[in-house]
Amino acid sequence: MYGFEAMTFNIHGGYLEAIVRGHRSGLLTTADYNNLCQCETLDDIKMHLSATEYGPYLQNEPSPLHTTTIVEKCTLKLVDDYKHMLCQATEPLSTFLEYITYGHMIDNVVLIVTGTLHERDVQELLEKCHPLGMFDSIATLAVAQNMRELYRLVLVDTPLAPYFPECITSEDLDDMSIEIMRNTLYKAYLEDFYRFCQKLGGATAEIMSDLLAFEADRRAVNITINSIGTELTRDDRRKLYSNFGLFYPYGHEELAVCEDIDQVRAVMEKYPPYQSIFAKLSYGESQMLDKAFYEEEVKRHCLAFEQQFHYAVFFAYMRLREQEIRNLMWISECVAQNQKSRVHDSVVFIF
Amino acid sequence: MEEERREVCLNGEEEEVVIKDEDKVALQFMDSLHNYLSLSDSLSSTLRQGWLELASARYSMGTSRVNSSLLDLKFHSAATILKITENEDGKFCVFTCFFMMPFCNITCTTLYDSIGTQPHFTLQKWVSSEHELESTKLEYKNEQPQDSNSIKSSENLMGLADNDEVQKERHKSLSVFGVLISPKLRATQLSFEKALETLIEIANLRSSLLHSFSQLNQEVEDTKE
Repeated sequence: MYGFEAMTFNIHGGYLEAIVRGHRSGLLTTADYNNLCQCETLDDIKMHLSATEYGPYLQNEPSPLHTTTIVEKCTLKLVDDYKHMLCQATEPLSTFLEYITYGHMIDNVVLIVTGTLHERDVQELLEKCHPLGMFDSIATLAVAQNMRELYRLVLVDTPLAPYFPECITSEDLDDMSIEIMRNTLYKAYLEDFYRFCQKLGGATAEIMSDLLAFEADRRAVNITINSIGTELTRDDRRKLYSNFGLFYPYGHEELAVCEDIDQVRAVMEKYPPYQSIFAKLSYGESQMLDKAFYEEEVKRHCLAFEQQFHYAVFFAYMRLREQEIRNLMWISECVAQNQKSRVHDSVVFIF
Repeated sequence: MEEERREVCLNGEEEEVVIKDEDKVALQFMDSLHNYLSLSDSLSSTLRQGWLELASARYSMGTSRVNSSLLDLKFHSAATILKITENEDGKFCVFTCFFMMPFCNITCTTLYDSIGTQPHFTLQKWVSSEHELESTKLEYKNEQPQDSNSIKSSENLMGLADNDEVQKERHKSLSVFGVLISPKLRATQLSFEKALETLIEIANLRSSLLHSFSQLNQEVEDTKE
């Protein structure tokens, strides 16, 4: 019953909640970002990060550093934190933690399939996969010629299997079908995660509903903007929107027929929680929209830590850490390209 | 030595100024040099913009969606053609180089200059639907000159008008990263496309510079004799 988690949560979840709150306090602060933004070289960035929780992961990396190396090593920190929490978790928290990684699994599947279509070496593709989305038979994806084979040979034994029946065809894979597969899988995954959180009930259901609804709405906007001027039809676009969220169902009907960014803006401004996002942008501008969405996402994830005895803190921590890694990637790129004046274009401060 | 007489108004009085042929060549050389330096700066800033936009696209879409391992290794027709024409002893030699898009992966940049020749570079963009040839292929032809005395300023010839078909070709080149891509990736493509055009202008200017320089040298040697 919602409100009585304080009596029983700590029996199974108390230790891990304490662990994740400890990890949260290790996230980089504004002072850390100010120091990083003043670095002249990637070695300077490595030196500043050595005093943070990323220190042990970067200390043995030889110079000259590359931005992808910094991102890979920082991602390893996230993976280690996640694996520690997963191995200590009991049901239903362990299932909840596994749900967090399915998005990366979908990205890895699409990466392998797309790379194979472009005649790339499988080993090279596996090195680019996100470590949180790996599974045992992932390399076998390279032999599939169409979605039916993808499902039958590999994915039927993975957690993504329930999401596949909606997009199985026997047609050969091409760029458009892969894109539709990606978005259909992600839609099914988000809806399934949403239903799971609703079943958990209590504070987890309430907070996760808000976070997942925002994720679904953001995906709807990004799909709309990215499909403007492409061959994706309005009906196909509509089918890629999730069946929950603030925009469902009337906002989706309007987004499906948008032909430019200003029409998307007009749709979003009808919803008060999203008015502040577009208030920061001028008409016709879409370049800063991603940053505006990330800022809103970070704000919501930080608020998740204000309440105790729920699982949303784990989800929020993973997302905040991913945002931090994105920030580090952007700062590294600006330093490497000698464009430090542009560093604040995309950095999203967490605290 | 040819001279050109012009009437120039100085201090309210018209005076006759004699412009020698070698002065014209020297002025042409200096003009070309100035334009060359300006274009080099422009190229540098365009490329910087392009690389930053690419980093921004990776930030938005994620590193798994924008990385080099997604580039297509299958054979397909090139999106852009560079034609190099060179006038030597009254004959035109045509070299054709094919560029792979989406980010202007230049596969043939071999050029040479020799005294008395002035290569001219012409770009044809987004012609993959017209040419069914393999990319990275270098073609050599001997053709009759159409206008042996024409020295044109740098120009870009569009294989297709800048319309829906060009947009389709652009989308097709970027489809290696997926169909639903961020507008930032499209902006990156435009930046590198502009950089390629600037490179061709620079190549033509350099050709003009070297030609003027060789003419000046020739005239100095003639004067010494």
